[in-house]
Amino acid sequence: MTQTMVLDIKDYSLTYQTQSGPIRILENINLQIAKGEVLGLVGESGSAKSSLAYSVMRDLPGQVEMETGSMWLKGEDLMTMDEEELMHRRGKQISMVFQNAATALDPTQSLGDHVEETLQAHQAVSKLNKSKQETLKRVYELFELVGLPDPILMAKKYPHEVSGGEKQRVVLAMAISSNPDLILFDEPTSALDATTAVNMLDLFAEMQKKIGVAGLFISHDLGVVAEVADRVAVIYGGRIVEVATVEDLFANPKHPYTQSLLASLPRPSDIRYKRGLKIDEGTPPPRRGAVPNCNFSHRCPKHDPAICDHSRVLLEIQDDRKLACVRPDVAVNEEQARSSDILPPTTDIVLEVKNLTVKLGRASLLSELLNKEATQVHAVNNIDLKIHRGETVSLVGESGCGKSSLARALVGLNPFEGELCLNGCDIKALDAAYRADVQIIFQNPDSSLNPRHTLETILSRAIKLYRPDIAVKERSEAIQKLLEQVRLPAHYRNRYPHQLSGGEKQRVAIARAIAADPKVIICDEITSGLDAAVQAAIVALLRQIQQDTGVALLFITHDLAILRHIAHRTAVMYLGEIIETRSIAGLDHAPYHPYTEALLSSASSPDPKTETRQVRLKGSLPVRTSLLTGCGFESRCPRRIGDICHEQPAPIKSTAESSHILKCHHEIVDLERIEPVWKFT
Amino acid sequence: MLFLIKTLRALMRNPQGAIGTVLVFLLLLISVFGPFLAPQDPESFNFGSRFAPPSAEFLFGTDWFGRDLFSRILVGARSTVLLAILATFIGTASGALIGIFSGFVGGWVDELIMRTIDAIMAIPGLLLALMILTVLGSSSLNAVIAIGVAFAPGMARISRSTTLAVRELDYVSAARARGESKLWIIFSEILPNMVAPVIVEATIRVAFAIMTLATLSFLGLGAQPPSPEWGLMIADAREHMFRSPWPILAPGISIALVAIAFNLLGDGLRDVLNPHSQE
Repeated sequence: MTQTMVLDIKDYSLTYQTQSGPIRILENINLQIAKGEVLGLVGESGSAKSSLAYSVMRDLPGQVEMETGSMWLKGEDLMTMDEEELMHRRGKQISMVFQNAATALDPTQSLGDHVEETLQAHQAVSKLNKSKQETLKRVYELFELVGLPDPILMAKKYPHEVSGGEKQRVVLAMAISSNPDLILFDEPTSALDATTAVNMLDLFAEMQKKIGVAGLFISHDLGVVAEVADRVAVIYGGRIVEVATVEDLFANPKHPYTQSLLASLPRPSDIRYKRGLKIDEGTPPPRRGAVPNCNFSHRCPKHDPAICDHSRVLLEIQDDRKLACVRPDVAVNEEQARSSDILPPTTDIVLEVKNLTVKLGRASLLSELLNKEATQVHAVNNIDLKIHRGETVSLVGESGCGKSSLARALVGLNPFEGELCLNGCDIKALDAAYRADVQIIFQNPDSSLNPRHTLETILSRAIKLYRPDIAVKERSEAIQKLLEQVRLPAHYRNRYPHQLSGGEKQRVAIARAIAADPKVIICDEITSGLDAAVQAAIVALLRQIQQDTGVALLFITHDLAILRHIAHRTAVMYLGEIIETRSIAGLDHAPYHPYTEALLSSASSPDPKTETRQVRLKGSLPVRTSLLTGCGFESRCPRRIGDICHEQPAPIKSTAESSHILKCHHEIVDLERIEPVWKFT
Repeated sequence: MLFLIKTLRALMRNPQGAIGTVLVFLLLLISVFGPFLAPQDPESFNFGSRFAPPSAEFLFGTDWFGRDLFSRILVGARSTVLLAILATFIGTASGALIGIFSGFVGGWVDELIMRTIDAIMAIPGLLLALMILTVLGSSSLNAVIAIGVAFAPGMARISRSTTLAVRELDYVSAARARGESKLWIIFSEILPNMVAPVIVEATIRVAFAIMTLATLSFLGLGAQPPSPEWGLMIADAREHMFRSPWPILAPGISIALVAIAFNLLGDGLRDVLNPHSQE
């Protein structure tokens, strides 16, 4: 390496002091980022990837016990600088793009002021006194650069008046405003919808080309990293285990952890090649006490004490990459899991929804007295949906499309209009029997399990309410059986939710749902917050439960990649309407609804065997408080025909495939001619 | 019971909590056994030693009648501290229940309750207590009730806002979806998760309660002389302030100590009652 690196981290280790003793955060980190290069940093939650970003910013949140090594930014050691010197570098030489743009922006400042302030702060440092006019001109330039429409108007707006994607663009404009040498991206697209996230990724890549800044791109999502990074570093338990170019890493991962990580990620080609997902819910490596020589050894399939435990395994150059493994060439007898066929569903309808409408919002007492019309959001509009026994229907769509409102309405948490039909009977009121038959699992187990109840209390309530046939004395046994069913050890019954890992908590939520022996379980984004390996395990568990009990699942998600491993059919929602229903088996073939096409295209995935055709959405969403005259997707549709889309509601059309319906003004024949989203090689 | 022991143990590990717990424990001991520990009769006059500074005989000195201040503080602790705790308890419990109910039910019931509370809060706390006392007549117990009622609106607001935050969480939704009774949801799902800020607020209010009790006694509406209630002692000593500072300093410092003790305990409890810090 002859050229000077923008960032050169040499043998950096960090230990925090906590109440219960020192805890190792980062160990022997060696990383280089060259000018104009983007290094992706991937790892599961808790792997200390964000801590690394904070160390580079020299803004550590914890109480430092020990910090060694050095960190060179363009030939200057950041670790020896004092606070004042660092202040001149933060924002000027290194800037950061945070995960959540909504909280990174000050709600009381206009978007233009945000960028202006950053510009002024750093001009003061360089003693460049530009006039107000020039500063504003630069603000508009930056806004244009990050693709914000109408910069002059945008600069006057406040954060709450723009969309999430636009906020993230403003944060990016702030980050590049002072021409930094290095930008740290901390999960910048995780909080965005898939269709918005791909636009952001395109923008990062484009920006990168234009200004040639170096970047450290942190993400838990390998697919996202594959889109933007040149090289990828894989971090596991605070140590870098493998660094390679994107192509090399995805085509031929060498570290057993990287292999396991990739094996548990779903790919678009999975149905075609009958590829299953690897389930590996290993425990994270120890962060306290004795230092293991290789921190993956406790779950490594090829761990050999004689070789691996001999001395500390460090990151070393091996062929085309850097690797922290002493026996990478040893083949393990481990094949990629095969996908077992999902059992076909039966034909008897278990739950039928007819003309269901959900309106949110309530008038306050005062406006009711003044006879003011309440502004209501039409969250769900006239939805029809059938679920068969033993079937999994996935409901996909971006945030705010009404997926969760529908789910909450079905379990009686949102008032609704329309008809419900369970097991052939019309449901007049959501009584105890109905509630027992239709269960819900929420997205975030941190908030869906009461932190002050033990698992025993949590599970026994469900049994008490739904299973009057189980006597009080037998409840304890029933709880044990439930824990067994979700593969949790029996002694967990006395634990509190915060003593469990994310995946285990979600298992408890599943156990609570199946306690009632329900007919339908509504899974509201239940795998969204989980790491890929844990997600694979939860999906496998749900399939097992479905196989054993014949329960029907309504699997709500915004992650399209996982659908192939769980669902029979998918319903795509947009602005409160189901715009397309189709079987998963036919997912790879046209015709698509134009929105489905864009949604499928934006699911990023590191699959060397697949080429994804790019479809990008522009434009903004219409207001939700009034009913639309035409098609809801009209404002963003890349295949908009003309005024007919705005004036008339899209007709329902069925295609050659039996269960495939879509709502669009286009003729099915025309949609059939569209190229498929994926090309498999 | 197990929960209590666990909380205590965790409190002792927290520096603020440990000091607060020890101080409050000592205070309670004094409140209960004070009259037995007092070396002298709190109401006996020693005309030979009026305004005496602290000495071996009179630890805290004496007042204008030559009464032993140390004995008066010890005996007065019971009425002052216990009454203040009782007043705070009345205010906290009633306020918290109103707040939870209002926040959980929501809708126009909530608005009705909260607007009424807004109206009550527009009247200063002391004035409200005075009004209540005028109706009930003046006595220590009535003063306690008056202070409790005056505290309730503030507590109701705090508990309502925490209830609103907790109510939106998925475990409450989950309980509603599985058809739990309202009582179970309020007392088992919501209450344990909003009790921490309420307890912290309550411990801070104990100090206020002592001050308000003192003020009411000072105005002649609470304890009556020659009762050794601390607030009353300060009020009476005011006339003699320039002859000797001890009659004011002794009860003044005692009240300050009580306030500090409860505040420390409150800080400790806030950390300990956070479920994520319980291991």
